[in-house]
Amino acid sequence: MRDQKDLRLVVALSVLCAVLALLIPVDGVALVFAAPLALFLPGYSITAAAFARRNLEWPQLLLLSIALSLTTLVLGSLLLNYVGGIHPLSWAVLLLLVVLGTCRAAALRRGDSGTAPRRARVRLRGLETAMLLGAAAVTVAALVLGFSTVPAEDAVGYSQLWVLPAAGSGGSEAQVGVRSQQQTSVDFDLRVKVGTRRLVKRSFRLAPGETHLLRLRAPPGARGTVPVTATLLRHNRPFSVYRRVKGSLVASQEPR
Amino acid sequence: MARPKSTTGYLAPIALTAGIGLLICSFANTLAREAADPPSLLFWAGVLIIALPIFYRLTSREASRGERLALVCLLGLSLYAVKVVRDVPLFSFSDELVHAFNADQIASHHHLFRYNPILPVTPNYPGLEGATSALMTLSGVSSYAAGIIVVGAARLSLVIGLFLLFTRISGSPRIAGLAVAIYAGNFNFFFWGAQFSYESIALPLFVVVLMAVAERDRSPREWAREWAVPIVLGIAAIVVTHHLTSYAVAVFLAGLAVVYWALRRDWSWPNPWRYAILAAALAIAWLLLVASSTLGYLGPVISEAFEAIFNTASGDAPPRGLFQGKGSSIPDTPILARGVALLGVALLGVGVLFGLKRFWERYRKEPYALIFALASIAFFATLLLRLAPAAWETGNRLSEYLFVGLAFIAALSGLQNWRPSKWPWLGRASLTAALGVVLVGGAIAGWPWDLQLASPIRAGAEGRTISSGPLALAEWAEHNIPEDERFAASTADARMLMAPGERVAFAGKTPDIQDILEETSFSGWELPLLREEEIRYVVTDRREISSDATRGYDFSIRGDEPELMPLATVTKFAELPGAKRIYSSGDISVYELGQGK
Repeated sequence: MRDQKDLRLVVALSVLCAVLALLIPVDGVALVFAAPLALFLPGYSITAAAFARRNLEWPQLLLLSIALSLTTLVLGSLLLNYVGGIHPLSWAVLLLLVVLGTCRAAALRRGDSGTAPRRARVRLRGLETAMLLGAAAVTVAALVLGFSTVPAEDAVGYSQLWVLPAAGSGGSEAQVGVRSQQQTSVDFDLRVKVGTRRLVKRSFRLAPGETHLLRLRAPPGARGTVPVTATLLRHNRPFSVYRRVKGSLVASQEPR
Repeated sequence: MARPKSTTGYLAPIALTAGIGLLICSFANTLAREAADPPSLLFWAGVLIIALPIFYRLTSREASRGERLALVCLLGLSLYAVKVVRDVPLFSFSDELVHAFNADQIASHHHLFRYNPILPVTPNYPGLEGATSALMTLSGVSSYAAGIIVVGAARLSLVIGLFLLFTRISGSPRIAGLAVAIYAGNFNFFFWGAQFSYESIALPLFVVVLMAVAERDRSPREWAREWAVPIVLGIAAIVVTHHLTSYAVAVFLAGLAVVYWALRRDWSWPNPWRYAILAAALAIAWLLLVASSTLGYLGPVISEAFEAIFNTASGDAPPRGLFQGKGSSIPDTPILARGVALLGVALLGVGVLFGLKRFWERYRKEPYALIFALASIAFFATLLLRLAPAAWETGNRLSEYLFVGLAFIAALSGLQNWRPSKWPWLGRASLTAALGVVLVGGAIAGWPWDLQLASPIRAGAEGRTISSGPLALAEWAEHNIPEDERFAASTADARMLMAPGERVAFAGKTPDIQDILEETSFSGWELPLLREEEIRYVVTDRREISSDATRGYDFSIRGDEPELMPLATVTKFAELPGAKRIYSSGDISVYELGQGK
């Protein structure tokens, strides 16, 4: 009797993973479905097709499922480069085609005599299960600790100052930005000279990682390219220039 | 009714201790990110807590094949996780940033073979980034998240592939498990081989091809066609992924074919000469048709290596000191760590000597075993390359291929079978300790001592996050500078601009950005060169360490401030007509060059 439950399961899982990976807008959740679709199922189905007439042992099956999935991704990206481009949909379609095609080939090659690969049988006692769950929990804790941002009090803080044409203004406005990478909140004085006469002053406090943005236009009557000079000072050192940058903006040609 | 016997042996408690070891390593890295004194002993204790129980169990007679396989998987993945917790959530190895840029380019432009300004050869081998793009595009995650999963899958393939290969050749899962444990002591296993780089996926595929050829050899002839599928797909994927590994697989298969012939005087099945020709043909075709720039990339490396060997051997140049970095500011490797690394090599030497004896007695008619024996001897020859300044890297890279053979031969040494009547556990305990020394020693020999632990790139302050200068520059560029604009920057800043900044940044000698940034005045050729390369933004960084691709990414640490280049290296750009300093963060400034004629 044909034993093709594994192939049906692989096809169903592949379709489910492809659809959910494409539809779920949350990256981390979509990854839960994209990972088996990309890193296991194509390799399993290729292995099932190639070794349809013999019982492959589970270690070989496991290895080939992962390794042939990797080769599918490597060679598949090359194919997509010339056919359709590398997009979410094209990847999903390609991987589904690989799985469907090779599962079909596996089913045909297995025929009446072929059997599905044998699965490893694992029996766990209660204590073992608890220890494996503990291992998983500790591993997650290690990863969370790795992900966490910790204070580094000896790291030397600083601040960024920049001037750029404001986005979407076509150069008629300048954006001056200050971002604090200091260890503590700091009071700043920002002085921006636009052209030769206009001076804009701002005083503000920035917490670590906080940004202050200032958008400026050319003074009335200005023509052509107008220089912009931004100077940043700290309250605790008011007579010492902390940062200075220079930019420009284009005076708009407004009718009088 | 009798309770069912566990099928997993001691896997569960060993997995728990591995998890605890990983947690300790993560804690040590967290302390290092706090810019505290690097807690190296704590870190290595964590590594040994992961590895030693696995090693000890692998030396036993009782463990089943399945348990041994699970243990080597646990070893491979746990040690990979040590590297992952060092860096999350950013790549910080120099090559990782180059490959992450390639992956980001593929995901955003939907095609392979995009341009890479720092390592132009890498887009011509897009296997890793192409595979990563599948996860990136399907799930929307970053190149970092997708990359660590793809490399993790490759790492799993590597250890399973090695175990099955060694089992097939030796006929003993016990020897196979020990051989994988020894392989984990290869200089590049711990750090270099775990990074997001093309070799990290190509080497596992190389091992899978070796395993498949070995399985094919032992299968009935009518099954040979079945094994052709993984062999051919594996070879093709390697050729698309990594130049050196594609040549290595061709050379290995050719060598294997010759050895088959030498031992059996027969070119017919199972002699794998057809696969050797296929691998060579595909590698050459890819080199000539797609990746011809590889010749210009590898040629100088190899010729400089030969020149360095000749100069060192003839006495024209002094030998390179072991454990020495390139700069004077790089801290020395402690004496104890050097001792562990050298002891590890010595133990490998002893293991190979005993292993070769056993090989001669039992395996010398086995083609694979013969190749492995030759590789184990060649490994020690490559150690001499470490004494030649320009050749050490070539030797280092060769070692991870040769180590496959070395691991097998050393595992034949049989120390685990030594059972003195008074202390029957002594053989196993000695081997476990030796494996621990080989693992730690290999990691020390393969990666600079001061880089074993994390360093602060991001930090918490008042409940928020602040970034180091190079990272903050990259984040600023990503949000404020159009994607098609080009930067020139020092080595570290350029890499950060590429990933996570996703901006095109030139660095180094080709084109000669390095001299433009480091000279205190202009000689006339600089601006035309910048114009020719269509570079609009020049990043100046006074920190001398910014030219270091492995160390230049971190916060400056109070009391250990970096050496600075002369101020004129920065201010000279203000003299260029039309150039404006549009960004400043202290040591790092960005000059926008005026419009060219």
